[in-house]
Amino acid sequence: MAPKKDAKKPEPAKKAEPAPAPAPEAAPAPKVETVDLSSVKVEFTPDQLEDYREAFGLFDRVGDNKVAFNQIADIMRALGQNPTNKEVNKILGNPSADDMANKRVEFEQFLPMLQFVVNSPNKGTFEDYVEGLRVFDKEGNGTVMGAELRIVLSTLGEKMSEAEVDALMAGQEDENGCVNYEAFVKHIMSV
Amino acid sequence: MDCRKEGCSQPQEEDIMDIPLDDPAANKAATKIQAGFRGHMTRKKMKDDKPREEVSMRCCRRLG
Repeated sequence: MAPKKDAKKPEPAKKAEPAPAPAPEAAPAPKVETVDLSSVKVEFTPDQLEDYREAFGLFDRVGDNKVAFNQIADIMRALGQNPTNKEVNKILGNPSADDMANKRVEFEQFLPMLQFVVNSPNKGTFEDYVEGLRVFDKEGNGTVMGAELRIVLSTLGEKMSEAEVDALMAGQEDENGCVNYEAFVKHIMSV
Repeated sequence: MDCRKEGCSQPQEEDIMDIPLDDPAANKAATKIQAGFRGHMTRKKMKDDKPREEVSMRCCRRLG
């Protein structure tokens, strides 16, 4: 019984305000949330804008100074953010698959999207990731079974593909197939 | 059930059955971790591409 990508993520659509609410909430969020990007105040420095413009340009494979909807998440990741796919969908106004492939965004339109993610309160800290993985540490000994972690990553949350999981887990399991998750998280956060 | 790792000493079937598919907390934890992992992997990929960015801006580069 595989879970659907339901709106289990209890995050209200904040408007450029860093609200402190990283604790797990019981209240389910409305299924279709949208973001009002026009109310997001873009506050990047000129240096940052230059970096962002450069990264944006790298993703423009058409040459029209725009990028596709389906590239937005990756550009944000390239710029140091870790948005969930759900968050990006919300920012893009819950686009269809067709939208994702065909709609394009200009740099100026991208900036409030990025700002929104930058402002969002759900930043993953070292402790967050360790805590999250500890949920699967059955023996409470600081390790999780690689095989179980692979299954978790590919069946829970925003499922990862086998290729993604393989790439992620490469070299992380010890001879018993176990992963020391603190070391794992440190490795993840090093880039 | 397919045991992926031969070296595992614990019974995998039980563990697989234990995966809390409907647990909101577990899903939330997983989502956060996955977001962090995807960010990491994208940045790692970008790093690998960086030296070639000037030449290959518009050719043969999978950044999407």
